[in-house]
Parts: sequence; C-alpha cells; structure tokens
Amino acid sequence: MMGLRFVLRPRHTSAPVRAAVSLFFALALAGLLGSLVFALAGASPAAAWRAMAEGALGSGYSLGEVLLKTAPLTLTGLAVALCCRLNLWNVGAEGQFVCGALAACFVGLFVSPGLPPFWGLPAALIAGAVGGAAWAFLPGLLKARLGVSEILTTLLLNYVAALFMEHLYYGPWRDPEGMGFPGTVELPQNVWLPMLFPADWGTRAHWGLPLALLLAVGLWLLLERTRWGFRARVLGQSPKAAAYAGFRAARITITALCLSGALAGLAGAGELLGVQHRIQDGLASGFGFAGIIVAFLARLNLLAVPFAAWFLGAILVGADQLQTDLRLPGAVVLALEAALLFGALLGEFLAANRVQIIGRTTKRFEQRHESCDENSGEDNHVA
Amino acid sequence: MTAPTSVSFSAPQTACAESAASTAPLLSCRGLSKRFGGSSSTEGSVLASDNIDLDIHAGSIQALLGENGAGKSTLMSMLSGWLMPDSGAMYLHGTPLALGSPALAMRAGIGMVHQRFSLVEALTGAENLALADGGSVSVRRAEALAAQWGLVLDARRRVAEMSMGERQRLEILKLLSRDARILILDEPTSVLAPAEIAGLCETLRRLADQGRAIVLITHKLAEIADSADEVSVLRRGRMIARNIPRDPQLSTGWDMAELSRLMVGRDLSQTAPPPRQTGGEPVLSVRGLTGQGEPPAFSAANFDVARGEIFAIVGVAGNGQEDLAAVLGGVVSPAQGEITILGGRPDRAGFRSLVAYVPEDRHGTATVAELSLAENMLLSTTGSRGAIFSRGAGKRAAKAAIEALNVAATGPQTKARELSGGNLQKFILARELSKAAPLFVVEQPTQGLDVFAVSEVHAAIREAADTAAVVLVTGDPAEALALAGRVAVLYRGRVIGVVQADAPEAFERIGRLMAGLDGAGTTNLGHPKNGQPQLGQSESSTMGELK
Repeated sequence: MMGLRFVLRPRHTSAPVRAAVSLFFALALAGLLGSLVFALAGASPAAAWRAMAEGALGSGYSLGEVLLKTAPLTLTGLAVALCCRLNLWNVGAEGQFVCGALAACFVGLFVSPGLPPFWGLPAALIAGAVGGAAWAFLPGLLKARLGVSEILTTLLLNYVAALFMEHLYYGPWRDPEGMGFPGTVELPQNVWLPMLFPADWGTRAHWGLPLALLLAVGLWLLLERTRWGFRARVLGQSPKAAAYAGFRAARITITALCLSGALAGLAGAGELLGVQHRIQDGLASGFGFAGIIVAFLARLNLLAVPFAAWFLGAILVGADQLQTDLRLPGAVVLALEAALLFGALLGEFLAANRVQIIGRTTKRFEQRHESCDENSGEDNHVA
Repeated sequence: MTAPTSVSFSAPQTACAESAASTAPLLSCRGLSKRFGGSSSTEGSVLASDNIDLDIHAGSIQALLGENGAGKSTLMSMLSGWLMPDSGAMYLHGTPLALGSPALAMRAGIGMVHQRFSLVEALTGAENLALADGGSVSVRRAEALAAQWGLVLDARRRVAEMSMGERQRLEILKLLSRDARILILDEPTSVLAPAEIAGLCETLRRLADQGRAIVLITHKLAEIADSADEVSVLRRGRMIARNIPRDPQLSTGWDMAELSRLMVGRDLSQTAPPPRQTGGEPVLSVRGLTGQGEPPAFSAANFDVARGEIFAIVGVAGNGQEDLAAVLGGVVSPAQGEITILGGRPDRAGFRSLVAYVPEDRHGTATVAELSLAENMLLSTTGSRGAIFSRGAGKRAAKAAIEALNVAATGPQTKARELSGGNLQKFILARELSKAAPLFVVEQPTQGLDVFAVSEVHAAIREAADTAAVVLVTGDPAEALALAGRVAVLYRGRVIGVVQADAPEAFERIGRLMAGLDGAGTTNLGHPKNGQPQLGQSESSTMGELK
C-alpha cells in the first residue's frame, strides 16, 4: 500500500534566503518549461538557449536592444508592483500604456507646435503620465466607492484603449500621405526622446531608461519614506488596521491606481517618443502585460524591478533570434514569458513552504486499528 | 463507522481482548511529543508537547487545565487527528492507533469541537448536520437526534441566526451523529453566558453517564469545579499532574490554590487594587447611540463616563458590544445618536486625538504584523508630521513604549508578528497610553493572555484611569468587576442594566442580565457615583478564576 503524500510545512528562513530560493525556482522552472517548448517546436533546447544568449548578449547592438526594452518594462513593472504592494491588481497596464502614448502623441502632434521647442518633450511626457493615470482613475474610483473588482475593470479597459487607438490611427489621426499604411504622421523631432549613446554606436537606447531608473528609486522613496507610502503599505497589509488608524482608504486606493497608471502611461509615452515616433500598429506589444511578470520576478521589490526588467528584456530580444536562426514561431516568446511567471510564483510558494514527500506507511496501522475499534465497540455493547 | 448494533465479527483479534476490561482507559497516549518550527532543538523551535502521557476514561469528564500556550490545544489536536505527533504512541482500547487526519479520528470515535466553530453560517442546523455525517437533509431526523441527546436545537434555523450556545450544541450533535465516543471541547465556555454554561455542564454529564469520554480544555478553574471528574494539568508542554480525581471532601472538588500553582508554576498575588469609582470631570457622554446595520447591532445607548472612572460594558459575544466599541473608538460612525467628548462633538480627526482605542483584534487591526514596532507606533499616534515619514520619531516612541510597560521585544525594529500576544497587547496599551487622550476605550484586553500578562494589562488599564475616562468592553464579567466601578450589560444590542460593582451579588446579577434572564433593570443609567473609592466585591465574585 505504498503511496506518496505531499505535506507542506512553512519554512522559517531569512528574507535573502527566501529571495534566493524563489529566484532559483523561477529560473529552473522557466529553463525546464522553455526546453520543453523548444523540444516540442522541433528544435534542440541547447541550440535554442545558445541562440537566445547570443541574440541578447552577443553584440553591442543586441545589448542596446535589451536596454531599449528595459525602460518600458521597468515602468510597467513598477506600475504593477506598486499596486500589488497595496493588494490591488492592476492588470490594465497595457491599456494605460496605450493611453499614455495617445496623450503624448496628441501633445506632440497638436500642442507642441505652439510651444517653445524646448517644452515640447516635457509636455508630451507629462501628457503621457496624465493619460495613463486618467485611464486608471475610473477603475480606482469604482473600486474605492463601489467595491468593483479592479481586476475586471482594468483588464477590460485594455481592449477599449486598444480599439480607441486603432480608431485614431485608422481614422482621424491617420497620415494622409502614409501610402496606405495606417498610422499617424511622424512626430516633430523636438518631442523625441534623445538617444542615450552616440549615434555611431548603433543602439537605439534612449533617455527613457535613466528616467525609468530614477522613477524606480523615487517610487521606493515614496513608499518607504513618506507618510503617504506608510499609509499605503498599512492599507495593503491590513485594511482593518488602516481603518483603525483612520486612514482614508478610498483616497489612497484611487491615488495608487492613478500613480500606477501614470507609470504605465509614461512607458507608453517613452516608447512613442523614444522609438516609434508615430502611433501605428504594434505600438503596444505586450509591455503592459509583461509588467506583471517583471513585478513578480522582482518579488514586488521596487528596487529590484529594473533588474528584472533587464532580464525579461534580454529574454525578449534573445527570443527574436530564435525566429531567424531556428525558425521557431514567434509565440515561443509568450510560452517563455508564461514559464517565467509560473516559475516566479512557484518559487515564491516554495520559498515560503517546504514540501515533504511522505510514503504512506501508516496505512496498515489504520486498518488494523479500525477492525479492533469495531470489535471492541461490539465488546462494549455486549457488556 | 457503522453503529455498534449492526456489527458482527467472526474472529475477534487477541490484541483487542484487553480493551474489554472496564477499568482500562478508553484512549491513552504515551510519550507524545510535538515540536513546531524546526526538526531538532534549533533556535526558534517550540516543543509544544513534551513526552506526554494521558489516560481518557469512558464515563468521565476530564478537564485539561493549563495556561494559554501550555500546549493544551496541541495535545488535543494530536488526539483528534489534526496534528501528527513527532513521537509517542496512542492507544484506543489498548490497541495502537495512528491518526493521519480528523476524518480517521472521527472514524475511530474521537471528535473535537474547536473554539471557533466549523459551521456553515448560511446553512440551517439540519443542513450542517447532513454535511457532517453525509446523511440526507432532514429536519425531522436532526430534531429526533437532538431530542435523543436532550439538546435544545431548532434545526430549521440558519446557523447565522443561532446563539453561540445553540451553535455549540449543533457542533456536539455533529459529533454524536457520527457516534463519537470521545468528545474534546476546546474552551467551550468562552462564548457562553453563565446560564448557558450550566446547560452545557448538564449535557456533558448526560453524555458521560452514557459511557462517553469528555475532555474539556480550559484555563478557568471555576468551571471545572462544577463539572469535571478528573483533572490533568499542562504547563509549558509538560504534563505536570495527570488524572487527579475529584476529592469528595472538598466542595470545589480540588484544592484550587494548589491547581493554580501547578498551572502557573509560580504563586500569584491575589491582591489586586480595588476597582476605581471616583467621579471626576465628565468626559464622555453618549445619548441615543444606535449602530449601523439592520437591525442595528446596538441601539439607544445612553451613558456617561467621568475622568478617573472605569466603566465596563459586558455582553456575550454577538450582542453588539463589538460594534459599540468600534463606534466609541471612532472607527465606525453611528447611524444615530450623539457622542460628546469633553463637551464637544468630535469629527474624524477629533476622535484620533481625543480617544485612545485598543481594539479586540491585536494582530490585524491594532497592529500590522509585517511592520516593525516603530512603524506600528505611528499607526494611531501622530509621531511625525508633514509629508516625510519620520522613522526616527517612530523609533524613539516605540522604544519609550517598550520601556514603559516592560514589553519583551529586542527593539523598535522587531516586527509586530514576532511578539507574543501578551507583549503585543502591552505594546498596544503603551502606545495608546502615550497619546494621553482623555478617553480610553479598551476592548477584550486580556483575551487569550496568560495570567501574568493579564495582571500587567489590568495594571495598565488602571493606570490609564488615573488621567482618563476608561470604557472597558469585555465578555468576561469577572474582568469587568475586577476593574470597573459600574458595569453595563448589553443584551441583543440594548443596555438592559447597569450594576454597581460593589452591590451585593453583583456577579450573579450581571450573569443573569447577560443571559437575558433579568431584563427589568433600568435602560437609562445615572451618573458615576461621586465619593471615595469603595472596596469592591469583585474578589468574591470572580469565583476562583485566575486573574
């Protein structure tokens, strides 16, 4: 009667050990599932991983591409992590990203020509933050005042934002001289985010990256060193304690969601002003959703978010190489992302609990005692 | 397991033969040990049960006595299959018994009623019963079963509408419906009014007389005197005294002082200062206060509390005192009525500065488990102003609080969850005392604390009354009488009487009021009695319960 039984026991270890365990499992599971996906797609896992490493880290250009992706991933990762610290699930970073880009584009196209040239870029960036915040305001309001789940509202508003963007670049904002390609006119150069490195280095990395890093530190300071951050953390860990302390939960919730939306909106604005320079198909290529993976890879530690973003950026860039080198389908990236997220969640779980596998050796005892028990029951009854 | 009547065996096993002896224990355990938080004697692990022997006899009510944290619940959880012992053996009728789950324990005839009931509140009594024993949902069957055991129960009612006593009877019935022969009850009286406790004792006696074994987990000496046949005492995971039978020479059955010494391991000084009754400047005035909800959790409450006075509000859990405390603490706003503090009607910020509130829930409401004491210090006090969160101010204040009430914590950076219940409560009290607010509201301040922590908490509450008006909300009439000058009783949301602590038979009156037996008293009550402090009658009325 041998069987296996899994028993969970809480693990009492220090925070760094937990982080290491969690990270180890995240990478191990991602590696395992990733290899499986490669094998199923008909490629040798070893070759695939090598191709990815070369694609992401093999040249100056590819390193620059990774940095290029690090900026928006950092911002959307911060957006998700901030909300998670308050026990809010903002799965709408994608839509807020789009709205940020739209607002920045609006300023770039229609407002900045009337501004002094220097003010064009700051105005567009601010508009991006405001646009993202505005898109997150409604879910925040509904959550705080009516208790509507922010998961549903933020998720569904993603599609509204995406459709609205399509409407704009197919319709009113469409470039009449776009030779049939749907998209807006290219933005004036004065609202572009400047390149981070000299042009002859061949990278496209722009000033959005230092901005994102600055915001990571700023957000950490906000959460750890200000009264608002303290209240937000209390609210996230125990709403009852926040009520006891007299904190205005509704206001904090709305502010946090707006702040989160502003970060995602900035990511969108950065992508528009730093890379695409016009709104067209493919502007929102999943950076918002990838922010969820970044946040959990960073274990919601705001200062770790840029590193997690860099790592995921490397995976994304490396995976592009798979398509050209090994002719694997593009969807392999999505499978890898999913494997990373599952790995991160499993790692978190295993960091908190230890799994013991126990053989079922007690079974025979139980059976014996049962027959005894019934027998003695009979004895008592007769007596 | 099938009912004994329907069982027939062709070949009884020899291993079971000895169990037929009537003097042998029904269930016994030998050398049971259980360690939490580590496999060996590593730092941070706790030996909750240390090599424990115990015999449980059919037909007997056994009280398992011990302070909070003595390991009573751990031991009983092992006996009822909720926990697996690390080492040691259990025997049912002398046969080795291995329990891997509560279900297996139940099949072996061992059932446990936990302190927090495991009932589905949205379902009726009959439905809960069917859920437990796998039978059909039948009100008639449930009521027949209840009648068979002499338990008063309306099986048609939803659990949410049942009193705590009724819920407890339903839990007991759940065990009986599955033919449990060993019933373990964890702190069964903690949710009951005095009158209901008597009913419970009768029920248990009836069950024991039918040959079942009853184990009562308790830390209240007064209760065992009325009901138990034998007593075992646990202290810090060890069995200090095992199966002491009732001494017929003594009216209480046992030498209570001796039992309390065994339980605590130290002598307790029983000389608490008398309850305060001086009336100073009026601080709190409550008129027509009615809570939220339909029907309101409490309604039309009127009372005044003066500086220097401790005013107690008692009631059995669920009679509205939880909501009343939250309203007085400023956390919830009332539906109707007025709260006047020092002549003014405070707004949200006013409550924060005028009221120090110690809520019942220490771990989730009064503190945040994952935050440091320094940060928890700033939860309700205004230790730092402006936008920047001053960790330095929090640290200094937390340090002062730790020193003020002798909290066992390594420092302000200790996380709240690392403190024991008693130390956390002392920290919370010190934090609220540091506000120097004119009104101090404390709710269930000693629930779950060991006797020493209780005496320290009581001392802190008395200290608060030196400078403030204190409202003590508690479910324990003995605690109310030990501290307060006047005791108001809430029953079904109404103040149905106010008892002067020094009145004759105050404890009995409060008990009757709590049970709703004596509601003719005044609804409106007078002002605090002016004059010198009076010696309270609380010593006699605590009935030997440890304070």
